[in-house]
Amino acid sequence: MAQYAATLDGVFQALADPTRRAVLVRLGSGPASVGELAAPFDMALPSFMKHIRYLEQTGWITTQKRGRVRTCTLERATYAVVDTWLSEQRRIWEDRTDRLEQFVLSTQDHDTNTDTKTDINTEQEPPT
Amino acid sequence: MTNADAYAPNPELDLTITRVIRAPRAAIWNAWAIPANFEQWWVPAPEVCRVLEMELRPGGSFRTAFSQDGVAFDPHITGCFLAVDAQERIVFTDALVAGWRPADSAFVTAVITMHDHPDGTAYTATAMHRSRADRDQHEQLGFHDGWGTVIQQLADLVESQA
Repeated sequence: MAQYAATLDGVFQALADPTRRAVLVRLGSGPASVGELAAPFDMALPSFMKHIRYLEQTGWITTQKRGRVRTCTLERATYAVVDTWLSEQRRIWEDRTDRLEQFVLSTQDHDTNTDTKTDINTEQEPPT
Repeated sequence: MTNADAYAPNPELDLTITRVIRAPRAAIWNAWAIPANFEQWWVPAPEVCRVLEMELRPGGSFRTAFSQDGVAFDPHITGCFLAVDAQERIVFTDALVAGWRPADSAFVTAVITMHDHPDGTAYTATAMHRSRADRDQHEQLGFHDGWGTVIQQLADLVESQA
């Protein structure tokens, strides 16, 4: 679970940067070389490479070097990590609302029962 | 004060659960606002919720603990209420703690509303999640547009390429 949380933090951290987001969106339309990816940015290559490495470390992309060209590919499975997290949060709140509903309804039933059986209830309740 | 309710859910990051519960608002309010009741439904059995503080007023402390086995308890919610309107609305967050003091970390703001409905009460829970990413670097990284947009872009791409 801690491992999963660490992975998740990295996945989200990677998205917290406009350059990295732009790279991911570009890679959505297919693999590209680091040179192509860097072209739109006014950024020194070493700085840009930090972003590429970060995306690689966090599992968003894979890279492959062939000769002098490093090609980056979007790792689509990582999107599922984000999606799964959101689904989990939704499930937690859905289930919680189910339990609230059950609790309220069971309390209601109880109240109704006691209302209709006031003869066995020795306590006098003030009229509401 | 139209801005008081002017929060805009982000469908990519926020969750909204709406349910019509066949009970009056008062019953639902009591399930929420009475700690002994709240403890009975907030977490799924056999997990156990314990309300440590539930000060139902703006800035009031909201702290709960949670246990897998009913023996060892860990902190669960550590936050405060932002808005409390009896039988209508509860807003809490873990971005702030008691007295609106900033928390070490923030994860969620939840808005709970209850409205009359012909069949009982329309109960809505909206959970707005902070990106886990921007804890310390929000400004530096220029994360102003939120990651919901990005997720949507990625989702569109992933789906169109599938």
